[in-house]
Amino acid sequence: MSNDIWVLAEHQEGKVKKIVFELLSAGIDFSKKTGQEVAVLLLGSGLEEAAKSLTPFADKIYVMDDPSFTPYTSDAYLPSIASLIKEHQPSILLGGATSTGKDLFPRLAMHLQTGYSPDCTGLSIGEDGKLIARRPLFGGKVFAEMAFSEARPPMATVRNNAFLVNENLDRSATVISVPPHIDPSLLKKKVIGFEKAPGAKLDITEADIVVAAGRGIKAPENFKMIEDLADALNASVGTTRATVDEGWRDLKDQIGKSGKNISAKLYMAFGISGAIHHILGIGTCKTVVAVDNDPNALIFNYADYGIAGDLFQIIPALTEELKKALAADR
Amino acid sequence: MEIYVLVKQVPDPEAIVKVKSDLELEIENKYFTSFFDEIAVEAGLKLKEKFGGRVTVLTVDNRRVDALRRGISMGADDAVQIADAALEGSDQFAIARTLSAYLKDKPFDLILTGRQAMDDDAGIVGPAVAECLGIPHVHSIIGFEVDDQKREAKVIREVENGRETLTCPLPALLTCQKGLNKPRIPLVMNVMKAMKAQIKKIDLASLGLGQSDMSPYIKIEKYVPPPKRPPVKMIKEDFPENVRVLVKLLREEAKVI
Repeated sequence: MSNDIWVLAEHQEGKVKKIVFELLSAGIDFSKKTGQEVAVLLLGSGLEEAAKSLTPFADKIYVMDDPSFTPYTSDAYLPSIASLIKEHQPSILLGGATSTGKDLFPRLAMHLQTGYSPDCTGLSIGEDGKLIARRPLFGGKVFAEMAFSEARPPMATVRNNAFLVNENLDRSATVISVPPHIDPSLLKKKVIGFEKAPGAKLDITEADIVVAAGRGIKAPENFKMIEDLADALNASVGTTRATVDEGWRDLKDQIGKSGKNISAKLYMAFGISGAIHHILGIGTCKTVVAVDNDPNALIFNYADYGIAGDLFQIIPALTEELKKALAADR
Repeated sequence: MEIYVLVKQVPDPEAIVKVKSDLELEIENKYFTSFFDEIAVEAGLKLKEKFGGRVTVLTVDNRRVDALRRGISMGADDAVQIADAALEGSDQFAIARTLSAYLKDKPFDLILTGRQAMDDDAGIVGPAVAECLGIPHVHSIIGFEVDDQKREAKVIREVENGRETLTCPLPALLTCQKGLNKPRIPLVMNVMKAMKAQIKKIDLASLGLGQSDMSPYIKIEKYVPPPKRPPVKMIKEDFPENVRVLVKLLREEAKVI
């Protein structure tokens, strides 16, 4: 029985996702307390670059190379990961709270008959060396600290930006090639198409900076101003339920209770009044800026910095000011 | 087509929810049917309209059957409540085992549910039921059609960088996301009828389950209030000075850009 902390390395177009480095940084922090090793699970095909990028962040990289892992389906991933877990009995298994994590982890936990805490915003190791996971309930109105049964491994998926990436890590992971456990008769789901979202922007759940506008922006074409601001900051563009329901913006960019919860380092809201549905989606953002015409808008109760003023004046001026400031850094 | 929809009555997003003590919450008495579950009911009804068959709504809840009545008022044929004192305080995995015990010998073609319930926001029960039943699942779908002849569903699911289309043989379990459809608003007449509709009530013993099957995998150790943001700093300078001040604060105080 190993005692390692495992992290599932999700990757997209050959690049390992940032959440993986965040989780490995946290795992290595935990391991300093407990003397455990940190291992990464990397499933896919043609994984050399991905493995290389993970080397300083882990002690072991378990690589399973098979074309049926790309694109992801739980049919291919689950048996291979489950058998490796049964063999090594890691002490913890972590992954990102992503579309893959949320599809795979609950089913894997049921399969292994072990505990799983979804969509966590914090993890810690208790006095007894056991994992404690913190997660929002009721859209973030309250949080819960979750404990796990004795079964191994306790599992959790974690939101972006819950942990910082430690750029100074200098482990040198051993790559361990593992044969995949693929039973073609169990590959029931088949991915037959993929439509890439337009533009090169990160999903709002993955971006460090998100700028958003609501109905206060008055017309769909005025989102151009927000897009320009986003470009200056290398940010992604979010929005509210109201504009999605109006058909102004795509559902994938909706922040809030029936949309997505974001955990950006910086969130900027323009012309968003601050309905509870929206506020619930930004609770775990680090810094929140609100700009609205109405000085009494509810959004100001949930912001760190606020400006009550004319959006149509402020947004372009802010874009220019940021461009200047950021250019001076280069 | 036999369709089962797993539904849950949950506090309305507007309801006040507060920490009362380490292990107790104070929840305002304002409930609604979890929005994603309504989308699942709507998806089931659309299939029934196309292929015929029956839609059964199913809940595990000792107290509330409103989600079942909502399902009936929308057009579901049957409603089943699983309730038992032993379910008190059970985790999502025990709920999944319970639902699977009920479903395992039913002639289902599709099981539908919301991508997550809007109270615990966990999204565990759907995929866990699929695992117990040994059927494929797809999580968080925003589009689908069923080919009855081929016994196959074609589904669209949203991933971080786009939309993926998958085929999935039936029987299967699909969890539904906003965008899949717009749940119908039931007619008042049907709401009245649903108030009187018969709801089948089932306990754990009749499913061959007992207290020992309910042992949790996860447990809430402690409720904590959400982290509080310090009071907002309003930037009072006139335009365009306010923009310069904001950029300065973001760079020098918040250090986020």
